[in-house]
Amino acid sequence: MNHDISNPKPHATAHPMVPIWVISLTVTLIFLAGVYFDHHSGWFDARVYGPYANAEQVQMYQPLAGAEAERLHGKQVYDAVCGTCHGADGMGMAGKAPPLAGSEWVLTKGFKRLTEIPLAGLNGPVTVKGQSWNASMAAMGAGLNDKDLAAVLTYIRSSWGNKAEPVEADDVKAIRAELAGHAMINGETELKTIPE
Amino acid sequence: MKSSLPIFLAVFVALGASFGGFVFGSISQLGTAKQTLVLNSTETYPVQRTGNATLGLQVYRANGCAACHTEQVRQEGAACELVLMGAGKKPDAVAEVLKEIAPAGGEFSANDLPKTLLRGVTKETADVAADKISTAGGKAEIHISAVGSDISRGWGIRRSVAADYLWDYPVQLGNLRAGPDLANVGVRLADAGIQLRHLYAPRSTVEKSAMPPFHFLFETRKIGATPSPDALPLTGTFAPPAGYEVVPTEDAKNLVAYLLSLRADVPLYEAPFTTAGPAATPTNAPVAAAEPK
Amino acid sequence: MNANEQKLCAVSEMDASCRVPLLALFGGAALWLVAGLALSVLASLTFHKPDLFADCACLTYGRLQPAANDLILYGFCIPAALGVVLWVFVRLSQAPLCLPLLPVVGANLWHLGVIGGTIAILAGESTGFTWLEYPRIASVLLLAAFVLVALSIFGTFGWRHHRELHVSHWFLLAAMLWFPWIYAAANFFLVICPVRGAAQAVIDWWYTNNLLFVWLALVGVGIAFYFLPKFAGRMLYNHYLALFAFWTLIIFGTWCGIPQGAPVPAWLPALSTVAAALVIVPIVAIAKITLKTVRGSHAQCKGGPFCYLKFGTAAFVLSSALYIVQACPHFSRTVEFTWFGPAQTQLQLLGFFAVVVLGAAYELLPRVMGFELPYPKVVRFQHWCFIAGLALLVGSLAAAGVVQGMKLADPKIGFEQASAATLVAFRVSTTGLLFLLAGSLLFAANILVMTARWKFGLLKTCLAAATAPLEIKEVRS
Repeated sequence: MNHDISNPKPHATAHPMVPIWVISLTVTLIFLAGVYFDHHSGWFDARVYGPYANAEQVQMYQPLAGAEAERLHGKQVYDAVCGTCHGADGMGMAGKAPPLAGSEWVLTKGFKRLTEIPLAGLNGPVTVKGQSWNASMAAMGAGLNDKDLAAVLTYIRSSWGNKAEPVEADDVKAIRAELAGHAMINGETELKTIPE
Repeated sequence: MKSSLPIFLAVFVALGASFGGFVFGSISQLGTAKQTLVLNSTETYPVQRTGNATLGLQVYRANGCAACHTEQVRQEGAACELVLMGAGKKPDAVAEVLKEIAPAGGEFSANDLPKTLLRGVTKETADVAADKISTAGGKAEIHISAVGSDISRGWGIRRSVAADYLWDYPVQLGNLRAGPDLANVGVRLADAGIQLRHLYAPRSTVEKSAMPPFHFLFETRKIGATPSPDALPLTGTFAPPAGYEVVPTEDAKNLVAYLLSLRADVPLYEAPFTTAGPAATPTNAPVAAAEPK
Repeated sequence: MNANEQKLCAVSEMDASCRVPLLALFGGAALWLVAGLALSVLASLTFHKPDLFADCACLTYGRLQPAANDLILYGFCIPAALGVVLWVFVRLSQAPLCLPLLPVVGANLWHLGVIGGTIAILAGESTGFTWLEYPRIASVLLLAAFVLVALSIFGTFGWRHHRELHVSHWFLLAAMLWFPWIYAAANFFLVICPVRGAAQAVIDWWYTNNLLFVWLALVGVGIAFYFLPKFAGRMLYNHYLALFAFWTLIIFGTWCGIPQGAPVPAWLPALSTVAAALVIVPIVAIAKITLKTVRGSHAQCKGGPFCYLKFGTAAFVLSSALYIVQACPHFSRTVEFTWFGPAQTQLQLLGFFAVVVLGAAYELLPRVMGFELPYPKVVRFQHWCFIAGLALLVGSLAAAGVVQGMKLADPKIGFEQASAATLVAFRVSTTGLLFLLAGSLLFAANILVMTARWKFGLLKTCLAAATAPLEIKEVRS
């Protein structure tokens, strides 16, 4: 091994430049890297995770529409508005509200009469599943918009073993318009006069 | 070049850039994260682990479980299914649309609902088809599921995201799968008894397991007046000598509490899904619990 | 004395100034290498016979493997590298070591930290972060020790006679600044003032990459670029290309490290993939420089230090290539979480870094100590031990990793079945580790005997001075 201390030779050759192929390789890789980053990074969005390429794709894959989301929406409205009296399991509460599960008033083919109950309110004696009830229900549905009321009615008609056709927001709108200003429905006698 | 200043500058620029980008960038995005909402729900996620489970995480750390197990599920894609729910008032129009969307589906019959029309398609395709069906008066649902080898193997229903680790210190992601992934082991092996027996004698629950037995997490002691309710039901070569029982220590119980708390199976905005995909192939399912003698 | 004799005096004085610090650093490092490899062997035995340490909490695999890894990295690689760097700076500056007490204190603090950290891991007090398992106290000791050694290096650098910078100056000075920054930052954000959630994992990956890839590359390549031209008897090829390699290595290399499937937002793994692709440039540049410097030289190596450095640099190029390939999304899907990762790490740590440092150590020790190696033939034997051990260890683990990955990608293959394929590989890898252990014992033997011989020589000199007959001076009357 050399130990030349007095006259330090240059320790490395000094070709005039970095070879041109190295530079062009670097530039090519930088370009390809940019393309890859553009397609795969979501541009620093904290909510974009692979395999989604960008924020729009994540948004697109959100399960927004669909019966399941609507059902969930209906459940949320039910839990917030109706569940306290009718019970989270739809079995009703003695002295407060009759059951909805298996109720003949809920499982009707049509839905006009059922929709009018929350829109107008109901008091007076009613027979539900062979039992007599005499509670008073305010117009709980009057404060809900068409979509929410349709969702909750669809929910009660398809939960706890109930199987009946869903209710559309448009139908609720029509029935609400027809009903405008109607007083509370008075007991089973008046209820039976309304077509299903 | 005579001065060393460029070297200092080079280090400052290069390391400063990645320090700012990775360290501060991740702190600002992930380090300040709060609980998020489960998709289409008002539930917050993640729920903080119980006290025992938090202690169990420390047992997990102390024994280096992350040297063999990962706690992260990967996902390679998302697949959609289009399901026809209702034919509405115009079944003929719907049948026409079906011929266009899913020609191989055969004759459409109104009694045949719900019917899966398309499988494994992208969301755009499913959206376009669902739109056509609803214009024709029918009702269709799109089911989104996560796709990947980890998911097909039953290790998870969606990929792991940063929100899953919000409460953990230290986060034990692991980087080697000498043993199966544990991100959803609280769902997959929800039985504390099997977990404890697997820790004490892995080969009693999984044949040919390479996992070392953790005898030091248990106490083999003489049976007192009555056998302890915590005693492990071990048989064969794994059983303790006659008159002795194997009882888990606090560490073992906490570790199992932690393992049972490991689940990442709710849909989130970052990892949406509506249903599980096709049934996952069950692998390394533990041997059915032997009846205690 | 004529000019030549003066020159030789100066050289031997410079070398002698490094003696105590280097022995302090290398002595401990050699022992830690043996200990680390021994613990690795014990850990790998767990896969052959899982029941082996069932009753012993401190020998369970989850504690043994991290302890072994940390012993090899923090116990051997870093202190031995610091020893070589000290000597390289002395020779480049052509001045004796500045403040030689600092590296001696530093070496002792470092070894104390390693002892404490290893005991802590085996006792269950590890921090839980990969490659950062030493608890707070040990980390503080390590950081303080490193800073002391670095101060001495900067001082020696400041004393240099010829102000022109050598290529190795760039690599090694940058490394002296790099480590304290990443070590302090990682410990601060993970241990002292922990961040929340997945950010911990990101910072751990950032630290691991910057230490295991960038720092080891800076130091290893810096050492290689000093020694290779001297061994080959030619100049280093293309100064500007070397500096270009330096700049691209630190600018791009620092962003690698986040794995592809990580549970973090997509921009993090995307940046790492991009950086891994760009890091091809410095690796190719370093490979070209090494080839051009070494090829065509008429120097023989015969299993000596020159062979070590050639093999080490080749291993560097291979292990970096594996690192880059691991970051490629398609491949990563298969080999992530398999034994491929540990194979690449072992190749980087043992195949590249340990071999380069050992070769340099064997070259400089006779000059520093002033006498030949006690067992010179052992150097060649150790060279072959290392090559055989690495081929068996890395080859088997890498193959096992790829097979395991391909099997795990198919959900119909059960997990136990996929793992059973790796069992054969473990038999081979344990054999590889045993070869490496044998090689490390030879190095430790050399160092220990050298230290003993030097101390004995010191003792003899002292005794001789104490028992020498007094000089009789004439008294002029």
